[in-house]
Amino acid sequence: MAYRGSKIDPKKMGKDQVKILLLILPLVIFMALPIVYIINHAFKPMDELFAFPPTFFVRRPTLDNFTNLIKVSRNSGIPLSRYIFNSFVITLVTIGLSLVFTTLAAFSLSKLKYRGRNMLMQINQIAIMFVATAVSIPRYLIIAKLGLVDSYLAHILPLLSVPVALFLVKQFVDQVPQVLIEAAYIDGASDFHIYRKLIIPMIKPAIATAAILVFQQVWTNMETSNFYINDDSMKSLTFYMNSLTNANNTVAGQGIAAAATLIMFIPNLVLFILLQKNVMNTMAHSGIK
Amino acid sequence: MKDITVQRAAKVKKEKNKVKRGQLSRRKAITGLIFVSPWIIGAILFLIYPLVTSFWYALNNIRITPIGKNFNFVGTGNFTQILLSDPEFIPHIVDYLVSTLISVPVINVFALMIAMMLNQRIKFKGPFRLIFFLPVIIVSGPVMGMLSAEGAVSVSALNAQAISGAISNFLPYYLAEPISDIFTNMIMILWYSGVQILIFLSGLQKIDKSMYEAAKIDGGSQWECFWKITLPNIKSLILLNCVYTVVYISGNESNAIIVLIQRAMFSGTKEKGYGYASAMAWVYSLVVVLIVLLFAGLIMGRKDVYERQAKKVRKQMKKDRRTARKIERRNARNARKFKKAEKKGKFTSYEDFE
Repeated sequence: MAYRGSKIDPKKMGKDQVKILLLILPLVIFMALPIVYIINHAFKPMDELFAFPPTFFVRRPTLDNFTNLIKVSRNSGIPLSRYIFNSFVITLVTIGLSLVFTTLAAFSLSKLKYRGRNMLMQINQIAIMFVATAVSIPRYLIIAKLGLVDSYLAHILPLLSVPVALFLVKQFVDQVPQVLIEAAYIDGASDFHIYRKLIIPMIKPAIATAAILVFQQVWTNMETSNFYINDDSMKSLTFYMNSLTNANNTVAGQGIAAAATLIMFIPNLVLFILLQKNVMNTMAHSGIK
Repeated sequence: MKDITVQRAAKVKKEKNKVKRGQLSRRKAITGLIFVSPWIIGAILFLIYPLVTSFWYALNNIRITPIGKNFNFVGTGNFTQILLSDPEFIPHIVDYLVSTLISVPVINVFALMIAMMLNQRIKFKGPFRLIFFLPVIIVSGPVMGMLSAEGAVSVSALNAQAISGAISNFLPYYLAEPISDIFTNMIMILWYSGVQILIFLSGLQKIDKSMYEAAKIDGGSQWECFWKITLPNIKSLILLNCVYTVVYISGNESNAIIVLIQRAMFSGTKEKGYGYASAMAWVYSLVVVLIVLLFAGLIMGRKDVYERQAKKVRKQMKKDRRTARKIERRNARNARKFKKAEKKGKFTSYEDFE
């Protein structure tokens, strides 16, 4: 097969594609339902929100839900933008730091040999399986002892180590050929050099996947806001949206909740569209065989 | 000839003084530890220490009073209470076990199928991939509750009374309920599969295309290619995906057991409380570990031809290494002997010694 660059879609629509398309299309429609539903739901006027049987598509789209949402948040004293800012800071810092730590740790655990390496990996595997809820109170005690309550660090630190991401990235680093690394050593590269110039470019797809995983965890996380933050102005957008949905569990609240859901959903969409090229296409040409 | 060997011996001696043995591996070890240290610190602070304390809590009856925490050591009391007299925990665990054991294979097979289809050359591949991934994000949000309340997660065709009726006729109640639950929540199960599809896809793209070509030249059919090339190549990813699925299902906040644990954690009654919740979490984690081990055993236990061969090669390599070490040791011994003899002035070159 010829090199096709980063274009994944073939230009022509061949006969051989019809078979697979026929198989996949119903599934695609099936999976697209919730997305369509969320988008439509946010624009529904009040009478359609409560229509029975519930309608899937919006008939008379309005922006009422969004204006209501802004109105409610204005009344609460803390502007919505504050929560959005909080969430963005938390998410960006967490993703950045945790990716650096994860890739460094994965490189070290996979390619550098020292005593205790396997033990560390096993600890990680145990950590994957343990229920996070169970450790929330000890975690709170640590956060309180470090004096981090009501700070951004309280949001960031507990989410920094994502064992699943480390597991995933390590699987990919394992597949980087040892020969390549040895060649780099012979050419005089330092370990950090190898990490930066060799490992990182080669495991880009894994990094992109891990970034999505971490993002998803951070973005939808309410635990940190719930447990470690008392100050309302330091809580995250997710927490705020959720409390809106719960507090306004009235007739008007439904519309607000729908709008809030759409707002929560859009960053995910953007991030995935940005990263998906990386996730899929670098692998084939990165030299990992 | 004599001169050269003398020179070489001298050179070796000189170099030996400059570079110590094992320096590279020590350097590697140090940088390795430096690289992993942020992770270690994080793990100690937010994983290991909390784990240990929560185990200590599990052995206690804790009441949170205005003055502080009130510990009362009860030993295994919490555990026996959970296992013997809690009316909710055991049925929930059984439900969870059955539904996990069924839905994990369903999710993974579905994900593999989709990933293989998306790996073909078809049009609109990018948008398709997006659509398959996006539900994952929604599932964890509050939208899910809304959606399932309005019946958007169940297909009427799969929800047919006939299926659940037949299931409950043939199976005992504790099995029948989770299974028919799975049928009614089919869409939701499939929505969980986004990450798995991603992981499978990246694995599939890594498989060398020339392997398939070689197989085709040898007359292998598509079906055979799938079993003999695709599956062995993505085996480790299947394990990864199974683990991920199990963990995702068990750690989900809408999971009944998690809700149970949370409720126990914040209940102020005498017998429940944080210690009780910790004990519950430990029992639950143990069950999760057992499930993961079961899947790992199923997937990794069966060795195929390649792995047997690889194992053989590894064994041979180990043997070779041992012989090489033996030879090295002998050389070192001889060199020492030579040095000693040289000191005594018995001879002047290596060849005399031999």
